[in-house]
Amino acid sequence: MKRRKLIRSLLFWAFLAPIVVVILFPYAVMTITALKSATEVHDPNWWPHEWRWQNFPEMWESSGIAPALFNSLYVSSLTTALTLVVSIPAAYALARFRFFGQGAFRQFLLVSQMLSPIVLVIGLFRLVASLGMIDNLNVLMWVYVAFNIAFCVWMLQSYFSTIPRDLEEAAWMEGAGRWRTLLTVFLPLAAPAMVVTAIFTFINAWNEFVIALTMLRREENYTLPIRVFSLVAGRYTVDWHYVMAAAFLASVPVAIIFAWLQRYLVRGLALGAVK
Amino acid sequence: MPRGATPYLMIFPSFLLAAAIILWPVGEIVALALHDVNRFGVIRGAFALDNFRELFADPDFFAALWRTLAWTAAVVIGTLIVSTPIALILNEDFYGRALARVLIMLPWAISLTMTAIVWRWALSGESGMLNSGLRDLGMMNENVQWLAKASTAFPMQILIGILVSIPFTVTIFLGGLSSVPEDLYDAAAIEGAGSWDQFRLITLPLLRPFINIAFVLNTIYVFNSFPIIWATTQGGPANSTDILVTYLYKLGFRLGKLGEAAAVSLIMFAILLVFTMIYVRLTTREEASE
Repeated sequence: MKRRKLIRSLLFWAFLAPIVVVILFPYAVMTITALKSATEVHDPNWWPHEWRWQNFPEMWESSGIAPALFNSLYVSSLTTALTLVVSIPAAYALARFRFFGQGAFRQFLLVSQMLSPIVLVIGLFRLVASLGMIDNLNVLMWVYVAFNIAFCVWMLQSYFSTIPRDLEEAAWMEGAGRWRTLLTVFLPLAAPAMVVTAIFTFINAWNEFVIALTMLRREENYTLPIRVFSLVAGRYTVDWHYVMAAAFLASVPVAIIFAWLQRYLVRGLALGAVK
Repeated sequence: MPRGATPYLMIFPSFLLAAAIILWPVGEIVALALHDVNRFGVIRGAFALDNFRELFADPDFFAALWRTLAWTAAVVIGTLIVSTPIALILNEDFYGRALARVLIMLPWAISLTMTAIVWRWALSGESGMLNSGLRDLGMMNENVQWLAKASTAFPMQILIGILVSIPFTVTIFLGGLSSVPEDLYDAAAIEGAGSWDQFRLITLPLLRPFINIAFVLNTIYVFNSFPIIWATTQGGPANSTDILVTYLYKLGFRLGKLGEAAAVSLIMFAILLVFTMIYVRLTTREEASE
C-alpha cells in the first residue's frame, strides 16, 4: 500500500512538474532579479555572481514604497471590515427571512457583480469627479466596498443557509433574544465563511489596479500596484532590480497569508459558487 | 420596531452602497454614450447615436472586439483543459499534496499587476530571463523580442491569462469533487468499471455543474481583464494587442473621447448581460434538478 502511494506520488508530480515550473517561473525571475546588482541586471545570466541584499533597503529609500505599503494596508483593511459589516446582515436576511423583494435583491446583486470596475470606469470617474473627490483614499475604499458586496453577500448567505436552524431555535427556547442568539450562536458557527470572504475581499482590494490607476493622482496616495507600475510605465530607463524588489515586497506577505489559509477557500468557494 | 421591517433594514446598507456606486455610473455612461460629449465631459446637444457611428467606423474597434473574443475563448478553454487534470490529481492522496496545492494556488495571491510586470521583464528581448533560460536549455539560438510584435506578445498574454486563472478554477473543481460520494466509486469498482469508466460515468457528470459555473465566471473575469495586457504591452505595438477594455481605457483617458468610450462600455454591458443570463440559467437549472 505504501509502495503504491509512492509510485502514485511520483507519477502525479511528474505530471504537475511542468505546470509548477511555468507557474513559478515569473516569481523565480522576480526573486533573482531583486537580488542582482545594477551592473548585472542586464546580463543574460540566470544566477548573479553576488546576492545583493542591499537592493531592498535602497529600494525602500528611493522608490516611495513605504507610503504605498501603508496606503494599501489602510485601504484593504478598512475595505474588508466595512464590507463584512454591510454584508453580514444582508446575507443573514437572505438566508433566514422570507420577504417581498428578496428575489429582486438577489438579481440586483448578480447584476452588480457582473458590472466590473473597468466597464464602469468612465462613469465612476465622473461620479467621483463631480463630488470633487478624485485622489482620495477613502473614496477609493468606498468604491472597493461597493464592488465587493455582491460576492460577499452571495458567499455568506449560501454558507449561512447550510447552518441548521435547530441551534438557534434551541437558544430561543431557553429565552435568549434574537440578537443574543445571532451574536453568541449563529455568528461563531459562521466564522469559517466570514474568514474566507474576508481574505477574498482583502486580496481583491490589495491587488486592485484599474480604479486606483484612474482615481489616484499624487504619488503619496498611490497604492502598491500603482506605485510599482509607475516605476515601469513611461520611463526610458527602468531600474529593474528595484522594481522586482518592490514587487517582491508587495507580493510575499500576502502570498504567505494566502498559502496558510487557502485550504479554507476550497470548501467556502465551492459552496458559494453553486448554491 | 415592526417585525416585517427587519430584513429590509438588514439589506438596506448594502443595497444603498452598491446602488449608489454601481448604478449611478451606469446612468452616467448611458447619458455619455447617447449624447455628443466634449473632452472635458460636458454633454452638448440632444440625443444622438454619433458615438456609435464613429465607433463602428473605426477598424481598431472591430479588431479589438474580435481579439477580445479570441482572448476570452483561448484563456477560458485553455484554463478548463489544464485545470481538470490538476484538480483530479489534487483530489487524490499523495506525498506532497499540501505543497502542490499551495504552488498551484500561488498566482491567485499575487496581484495580476505584479505578475504582469514581472513577465514584461522576463520577456524582454536582450536581457529577459526567458530568452536566457531557453538558450541555456538549448531550445533556441537567437533572442526573441517577445513583446515587440503581436504574433508573439498575444500568445504570451494568453499563457499568462491561463496561468492566473487556474487557481480559481481548480478551487471550484476541488469543491465539486469533494461532494462526490466515495461509495459511488466503490460500487462502480465492484461492478467492474475501470478508472476511465469511473471518470467518464461518475466524476464528469457530477462535476458538470461546477464546470459550467467555472466556465461562465471565468468568461466574465477574462473578458474584463485589464492588468495583464496593460502592464505588458499597453495594447501595443500600434494597438495590435488591444482588447475592448484597453481600447476603452485609451479612448477615455488618453484620447479624451468620453462619448465613444462610454459607447464601448455599453456594448460590453450587452455582451456581459448575455453571459450573466447564461449563468442564471445554468444555476437555476441546477437548483431545479436537485
